[in-house]
Amino acid sequence: MSTATVPDTFEHQTESPWAVETHGLIKRFGENVAVNNVELLVPRGCAFGYLGPNGAGKTTLIRVLLGLTHADAGTMSLLGYPVPKRRDLALARVGAIVDEPRFHGHLTGRQNLQILAAAREPAARDRIGPALERVGILQRADDKVSKYSMGMRQRLGVAACLIGDPQLLLLDEPMNGLDPAGMADMREMIVSLVAEGRTVVLSSHLLDEVERTCDAVAIVDRGKVVRQGPISELLAGATLALQVECSEPDRARRLIDATRIGAHVEVGSLGLGISLPAGTPRDVIAEINRVLVEGGISVYRLQEIQASLESWFLQVTSRLGAPE
Amino acid sequence: MRTPAHTAASVATVQDTAPRDHRGSPIPTGAMIATRFMELRKRRGLMIALILVNIGIPTVFLVVRLLAHAIAPQSYGPAGGYSIYTGLVAGVMYVFGFIVAATLGCTAGSVDLTEGMFRHLVVTGRSRLALYLARIPAGLAIVVPLVAAGFIIVCSVCVFAAPTRLSYDGTNVPAGLSRAAFENWAADHPKLVICDFSFSAGPSSPVPAVINSVPCGPNGPIVKAPPGSQGPGQATVTPAQLRAAAVLIALQNYPDYSSDFLYPSDSLMIRTGLWIELEAIIGFIVGLGLASLLGQRTVPVILMVVLEIILTPLFSRARIAHLLNLQRSIVGVAMAHLTPGGLPVFGGGGGGPGGGQGNPLLVPESITWAVLVIIAWLVGWTVLGAWRMITRDA
Repeated sequence: MSTATVPDTFEHQTESPWAVETHGLIKRFGENVAVNNVELLVPRGCAFGYLGPNGAGKTTLIRVLLGLTHADAGTMSLLGYPVPKRRDLALARVGAIVDEPRFHGHLTGRQNLQILAAAREPAARDRIGPALERVGILQRADDKVSKYSMGMRQRLGVAACLIGDPQLLLLDEPMNGLDPAGMADMREMIVSLVAEGRTVVLSSHLLDEVERTCDAVAIVDRGKVVRQGPISELLAGATLALQVECSEPDRARRLIDATRIGAHVEVGSLGLGISLPAGTPRDVIAEINRVLVEGGISVYRLQEIQASLESWFLQVTSRLGAPE
Repeated sequence: MRTPAHTAASVATVQDTAPRDHRGSPIPTGAMIATRFMELRKRRGLMIALILVNIGIPTVFLVVRLLAHAIAPQSYGPAGGYSIYTGLVAGVMYVFGFIVAATLGCTAGSVDLTEGMFRHLVVTGRSRLALYLARIPAGLAIVVPLVAAGFIIVCSVCVFAAPTRLSYDGTNVPAGLSRAAFENWAADHPKLVICDFSFSAGPSSPVPAVINSVPCGPNGPIVKAPPGSQGPGQATVTPAQLRAAAVLIALQNYPDYSSDFLYPSDSLMIRTGLWIELEAIIGFIVGLGLASLLGQRTVPVILMVVLEIILTPLFSRARIAHLLNLQRSIVGVAMAHLTPGGLPVFGGGGGGPGGGQGNPLLVPESITWAVLVIIAWLVGWTVLGAWRMITRDA
């Protein structure tokens, strides 16, 4: 019956280059639109950051993708399988942590994984030991989960993902509760998972972690994806920032404002902070220097500030205090 | 960043095929049932409580009776016997078995949700219906042996520590006599029969005149004589008259005597065992469905206890004209109609032994209707619980 059609469909569907693909996805909670017409494309085999401020709808999108809650409109697919139509086939190769991982506290970590492995394919049971070892809690695997720290439960959550030998991992704030060493371990693990050909979608508000771990990101704000793409390309589109240490900063500011460079200048404790529109040629930096020197300003230091994901994130989200 | 083309080349270590394990199927696997069983069995506090209630209480009761009888056999009767059996099974095990099973069902139906495992399970892609159905055999694998263990203990003590002579109306009577043998025994023991057995005399009955001549101690014979029947007895009665009166009294008591036994018969124990197991299964299935529907454990447990302890006895006894069909549709009322003959009906108004079928104290209900009600409850609550589990946001 359906099993006869699965292989053909599967072969066809897995040709999709996207691990996650959504079109016009909408999820409402009453009047609140938690996921607003989301168009998301996550390529296979990369670490993909899903960034957004608190309440932006990150977790809701993951819950919709996993079928934990229903979408109100739109289409989506995981690993090429349309969801929810072929949800069982899609989730067979997906591992996920959503919110804080919680387990049966009266059972050991290993027993909790046995319950989850029983719901997966028979081979999943054989992966319990290696998964526990990989996340570094093999020694505590036979302790009750009620005795685990938050960080250990996070690790157990990742182990729960790994027993399904997933092609796609959706990790919602996996760094929560981890100490610095644990965060470094998690970062390393994500990198190694990607190196094995898996796709990792990392939902987080820890911009630094995402920047260090991920190849590409999507920025979500108020339920809507406002930017997405490779980090390097996105940052290339960020504003060019300069820090200038000079004499008479107020007069220097007036001199720059008088030019037609289109720079936004602020006077701060460290001197002038200059923002130039994205795509401004680097010659403009020399031009600014020339204007200042010819205006009799002593320039002690002129430094280009490397655009960070954080500064770019603040630019593109509505949480930077921009007028509503 | 990796491009899709780049990725295709690099996917070497991860499997690129979905496992073909029919995880969309609604039928749970053996492993799912086994791990669900483990999850319930490992709840030590719950298991101890269930064992204490279902096995501990009847065991303690019987052990105390065994000890008391061993120490002072004249003051304390045997620990076992038919009356102890009927009282324990119909009054204790039937109710406690239901409550124990309902508590376990409510636990099985709610803990995945309250302890955060439901989300992990849903993410495996396994059919939610299969996840729900796996709980039924897993839970019953605990409930059925638990109830059986308590029941076997009660049966064992009631059979092996049964009295050797039947105590009927306070008189030791040989058990299992035929009508003729009972008459013969009465003729041989006229004074015991006249003084201890109850007797309902008709207006022209010669018996009151005879029995009033027998010195029976301060209480006298137990006779219900209608107005106008013969007054104080004759001065002397012959032994033949005494024997004849005793036989008449014995004949009137035989139906009651014949429903009393030294210990329960094998067939009664089998029927009773199946009956209390069915009650426990109902408790588990309904508890599971209700807890799944409500998404919590405490309130469903309270509701189940109220149903069993308050609503069922109330609706079994009181005949409310406009609510008769509603009363008949309560599973406890239906189960009361299936009470094996020889057992008193729980909540049936103290009608004494005789089973549920045709019991005049119960709201009238045919056996067919009672069976249909029970099936409807089992199916209905399973459907409701499964539906909520399928549609619930995880």
